[in-house]
Amino acid sequence: MELSDEIIINAPKDKVYAALNDPEILKQCIPGCEELTKVSDTQLEAKVALKVGPVKARFGGEVELDTTGAPDAFSLTGQGSGGAAGHAKGGADVTLEADGDKTILRYEAKAQIGGKLAQLGSRLIVSTSKKLAGKFFDNFAKVMDPEAAD
Amino acid sequence: MKDDVQSSDDRRASLKGLGSSRKRVEDARFTQGKGNYVDDIKLDGMLFGDFVRTPYAHARIKSIKTEEALKVPGVLAVLTAADLEPLGLHWMPTLAGDKQMVLADGKVLYQGQEVAFVVATDRYAAADGIEAVEVDYEELPVITDPFEALKTDVVLREDLEPGADGAHGPRKHPNHIFTWEAGEKETTEQVIDAAEVVAEEMVYYHRVHPCPLETCGCVASMDKVNGKLTLYGTFQAPHAIRTVVSLISGIEEHNIRVVSPDIGGGFGNKVGAYPGYVCSVVASIVTGKPVKWIEDRMDNLMTTAFARDYWMKGKISATKEGKITGLWCHTTADHGGFDACADPTKFPAGFMNICTGSYDIPTAYLAVDGVYTNKAPGGVAYRCSFRVTEAAYFIERMIEVLAIELNMDAAELRRINFIKKEQFPYNSALGWEYDSGDYHTAWDKALNAVGYDDLRKEQAQRLEDFKAGKTRKLLGIGLSHFTEIVGAGPVKNCDILGLGMFDSCEIRIHPTGSAIARLGTISQGQGHATTFAQILASEIGLPADSITVEEGDTDTAPYGLGTYGSRSTPVAGAATAMAGRKIRAKAQMIAAFLLEVHDDDVEFDVDRFVVKGAPEKFKTMKEIAFAAYNQAIPGIEPGLEAVSYYDPPNMTYPFGAYICVMELDVDTGEHEIRQFYALDDCGTRINPMIIEGQVHGGVTEALAIAMGQEIAYDELGNVKTGTLMDFFLPTAWETPHYTTDHTVTPSPHHPIGAKGVGESPNVGGVPAFSNAVHDAFRPFGLRHAHMPHDHWRVWKIANDLGLHS
Repeated sequence: MELSDEIIINAPKDKVYAALNDPEILKQCIPGCEELTKVSDTQLEAKVALKVGPVKARFGGEVELDTTGAPDAFSLTGQGSGGAAGHAKGGADVTLEADGDKTILRYEAKAQIGGKLAQLGSRLIVSTSKKLAGKFFDNFAKVMDPEAAD
Repeated sequence: MKDDVQSSDDRRASLKGLGSSRKRVEDARFTQGKGNYVDDIKLDGMLFGDFVRTPYAHARIKSIKTEEALKVPGVLAVLTAADLEPLGLHWMPTLAGDKQMVLADGKVLYQGQEVAFVVATDRYAAADGIEAVEVDYEELPVITDPFEALKTDVVLREDLEPGADGAHGPRKHPNHIFTWEAGEKETTEQVIDAAEVVAEEMVYYHRVHPCPLETCGCVASMDKVNGKLTLYGTFQAPHAIRTVVSLISGIEEHNIRVVSPDIGGGFGNKVGAYPGYVCSVVASIVTGKPVKWIEDRMDNLMTTAFARDYWMKGKISATKEGKITGLWCHTTADHGGFDACADPTKFPAGFMNICTGSYDIPTAYLAVDGVYTNKAPGGVAYRCSFRVTEAAYFIERMIEVLAIELNMDAAELRRINFIKKEQFPYNSALGWEYDSGDYHTAWDKALNAVGYDDLRKEQAQRLEDFKAGKTRKLLGIGLSHFTEIVGAGPVKNCDILGLGMFDSCEIRIHPTGSAIARLGTISQGQGHATTFAQILASEIGLPADSITVEEGDTDTAPYGLGTYGSRSTPVAGAATAMAGRKIRAKAQMIAAFLLEVHDDDVEFDVDRFVVKGAPEKFKTMKEIAFAAYNQAIPGIEPGLEAVSYYDPPNMTYPFGAYICVMELDVDTGEHEIRQFYALDDCGTRINPMIIEGQVHGGVTEALAIAMGQEIAYDELGNVKTGTLMDFFLPTAWETPHYTTDHTVTPSPHHPIGAKGVGESPNVGGVPAFSNAVHDAFRPFGLRHAHMPHDHWRVWKIANDLGLHS
């Protein structure tokens, strides 16, 4: 499965970059995120409750960040397992481009999924992923620009 | 007597014996929701077990943590391979001579494989417990392609000695299971090399699933006081299951009672032994309570007994005039993670060597290589005799491809190559003795019935209209002439796990002239209680309505190998007739005594014995039954009972001619079946109404397989078609009208000449549907396209042929 999109965030690039690396902010923005802890500068551990069609599960996973492209780009790879519900692994490349006071965020994500998620979700997984990604960036935009939220 | 005035025809009709379209006695309970299926069984204190299944298709198991699961309210136990190992039950033998993990022992080999068994007070608590079991997997490379499996360094079965022989001879590769050959390799290759015309094709019969409406399940109940185990389950072969349970558990066979209650369809899915059975038995022994296990739909589609997955590479040679000279086939058979096919021991590729079909092919060679992959095990005969649909599909496709090569009409090509009536019994190049047949008569009847010549004219006109842009629909005429091989089988050739494939019937006549017959088979919807009573009615002259047929309880029924491969009528039906004849032989002696004449001076007349030449002097079977119990007859012991164990001298060879007329929309890929004509010759017809029902059901399953049904995997080994959203099961909406017809060519060796019909429609139906699709596109250069012919794939055929530009 592959996803890509482009979002304009009402905040300057350095602020956006910092926020994307702040576990507290990420935790607020990731739909269903219950825990997000920083193990090191480039490693995070997460627990996320997810529902794809009839499959509902709590995923535990690890995320590895690659910040060598800072402040214009960063990459992340990760894998998670939801027990009987299935498992996923994947990654995303994110680029940031300043646009005056705003930032254009582009991402390309790839994921491989297995287990019940893949079976039941085959026709739901792309739309659900898009919805989740949309929700994340909605939340993120609100956190970055609280006034615009209302 | 009041029936004195009845003619023998009237008396015959009132028996409702052979040839009567007697209504199914089972339907009173089925249509009122009063059937008794395994999930209807509820015993005091019964627990429920369910499986933790692997989401990975190939992985090493690093740890299984059950502590949290045991804290879930209602969860009583969690079994893993470590718990079963001390009992020697963490692996079990398969019906194909391989062994299979009961619970994952160190690694898993396919998605959905059983990892742990959670036992709880109800199904919901078990599901919660499953969620709480933590399994740590280490992913391994996944092999879903059998050709890659034979090249890769990835070893799937680490439990097997790499170079050691398998159950069926040498293995060429760690992922190779067996090579099985039939016929003459060198001669066939010489004939094909020297032939005037040769057609070559790779024919894939995709992976499908029997998908019975009722999934597999069981209830195990161990009575620890008496040491008796009762096992209720969806078993197509209850007696064989009892023997297997005894052999692997060490419980003596007399202490095991296996009961198959009503079964909601089997189609081969319920022949094998599954981890659920073993785990339920162990859980019942451990907890001292009855334990139920019932698959859900996903479990069923993902794990228990798939069918087909045969890659059949073929070459067929002929003279310029179209006389076939040779057939060569090499099959790569994908068996999944374990070899758990249910084939007779000497036939690891089933009866695939029936692949010369209905044709007189002088030279042939077949080789089959079985291969392990990261897919579910199985390879069962889904509504067919062992690998017979594969064989029929292969030859019926090869004939069509040869017709293209010869630029010949495919109906005519078949006609000039059919085995002729006078050639029966016919010895095929691959080693079978066909018992009887009259293919030309059936073929001509079928072609006339559909108006074949007019259809071809209409098709030619349609093609012109299509080319002229007047229509976007093509017309396909799908031909199929199949020969089945059913009724396994002669014990000298056929056994499963060493159990000879005879079958049995035991009859007890009651004093008032009614009877109970018990058989070693088990109905899964075929209507045995209706048809076996009819066989008996004609043999013993008591009305079918006065005969109870009982099957499926190993404590009461005689031993038999069960119901699959269309073997019930050819084998158990024969046993029923033979047991009936024993009854009749004793009845003759009793009648002679009562009529005060010599045994040889009475003869059987429908429902009575009459004195030869004096038909007014007679004793009815009813009177004889009463006398058998209540009158002292010198030299004859009281009672009227018989048992027969029947070992057939040969298989039976039902055949038929099917024709499908199909419209195909080249822009949407949709099909419309305009006409489907099915002519079956199953020898003597026991109940024409039941035959028609069998044909309707079988053709509908064939429609499903040819036009959409598949078990598909992605490259990670995920089953992509694990629910009925994705796995095509036709409903009334997709099912066309069928026209049924018949000819009657009795089997010369079967006591009543019957051959079995339940599976013919699937065997003959699949090529008829598939050939119709191919035939529609033949003028545009299509030779072969793999099934299933769903809308997308048909659209793609049209697109690849440039019909969209």
